[in-house]
Amino acid sequence: MAEVQQNDGGGKGKNHQKKMTIRVDFTPMVDMNMLLITFFMLCTTMIKSQTLNIALPSNEKVDNVENMSQASADDAITIILDAKRKTGSMVPDTVNGKVVNEVYYFDGKPLNGEAVTNESVAANNNLQKAEFLADEVNGQGIPQARGIRKIIQERNKEVLKKLEEYKKQFRDGKIDQAKYDELAKQVRKDENLKKPVIIIKSTPEASYGALVEILDEMQINSISKYQIDNMEKVDSLMLIDYQNRHHK
Amino acid sequence: MGRVKIARKSTFIDMTAMSDVTVLLLTFFMLTSTFLAKEPATVVTPPSVSEEKVQETNFVQVLVSPEGKVWLTMNNDTSANWSNERMRMALLDKVSEIYNESHKNKVSFTPQQKLTFSKLGAFGVPLSQMGEFLDLAGNTTTSTQADKWLQGESENPKHITGIPIDDNKDENRPNEFQMWMKALRQTDNEILAGAIKDGTGVAIKADQNTSYGTMHRVMDNLQTIHMNKFTLLTALKAGE
Repeated sequence: MAEVQQNDGGGKGKNHQKKMTIRVDFTPMVDMNMLLITFFMLCTTMIKSQTLNIALPSNEKVDNVENMSQASADDAITIILDAKRKTGSMVPDTVNGKVVNEVYYFDGKPLNGEAVTNESVAANNNLQKAEFLADEVNGQGIPQARGIRKIIQERNKEVLKKLEEYKKQFRDGKIDQAKYDELAKQVRKDENLKKPVIIIKSTPEASYGALVEILDEMQINSISKYQIDNMEKVDSLMLIDYQNRHHK
Repeated sequence: MGRVKIARKSTFIDMTAMSDVTVLLLTFFMLTSTFLAKEPATVVTPPSVSEEKVQETNFVQVLVSPEGKVWLTMNNDTSANWSNERMRMALLDKVSEIYNESHKNKVSFTPQQKLTFSKLGAFGVPLSQMGEFLDLAGNTTTSTQADKWLQGESENPKHITGIPIDDNKDENRPNEFQMWMKALRQTDNEILAGAIKDGTGVAIKADQNTSYGTMHRVMDNLQTIHMNKFTLLTALKAGE
């Protein structure tokens, strides 16, 4: 292919010319191309960044009151994120350059107003500790939720059960994707099902990664009502009280 | 006697086909590659299960370094009326207008400085130093100094990196970060203003180890000026 044959009409004439073959060596060309490909391959970013949409509550207090009043005491669950650190130290522990986070939760509404004192908080502290854990596959090959995911799942089981039913129908081919999405949306909005209202709070030391992780849990467990809120005095007191009792 | 004559064979391999393939591959990579924009701080975004892709155009990226410094990058729809250049020019005009309302030391920019600003990638210096910064960035011999300044490695200790941000909660007396964000909404670019309203117009990019306190400050600042909806840039989580 890389050769051109020159034929001068059978060599009848006197000026008998030699048959010439012009071959072009393409090896350097290939070398160069390979280098260029390598360059572009390394420079390019194939994987696009993912995004997570969040909507914070408006700063106007009116909206907030309405929102919070909907959450009855037994539906509410508060999650507090904190960075793991050594007692007395402010520097978070890291593993492979990633901050290790701890997650605490409690049910119902915390004490508020005048009732918040060190003693009353210590007496009524129902704060519990959980962990961020990935699903573990059990003996039958079914993934089992662990840690905080299990706790959230437990609270939202009515919604998840309904969703699972529809998912099964979808897998059996009874309903199509659009229909499933519509049904799933209805389930998430269904007022008759018992749904938790999750309030997410975080200490300033916890990492941003933990926030994204907990928002992920909301998505995984189809939580429809959650909000990010500021730490209040009672939350800090509960956390300190818990840590004092357990980090001995 | 009995000597077998081995035919001399040429070892020449025809590389033409190979070359064709490599050129095709090269063309593919050249056309698909989008170069990584140079960013003043390297951050590792947190992993997430969210599968929503990042919006391609019409958003402002707020880059937050682990130390809490903030830079802005514009991503405009270049096919529409508002090219990046035009948008940035309009933004600079608007932000200096807002700044001059509340500051005694007024800022103004020469056409040359505005032109330089319209060609910048990420930006993030206090407005009072913006003129000096643009002079450095506009000159090819000193543009590396401007890059260093943006990364916080300037030799001049007076040079401040990052858009000034604080815990201001008063909407009527915005800090500089809030001024920039307000200015974004107030330019005539209605597509971007609409995107900001939907929540796709502002994307926050931060390192996974950035403390929540730092992130909270940025989010609080946005909340103060009623930008309650925004997106967080994340990376795809491996495994799950």
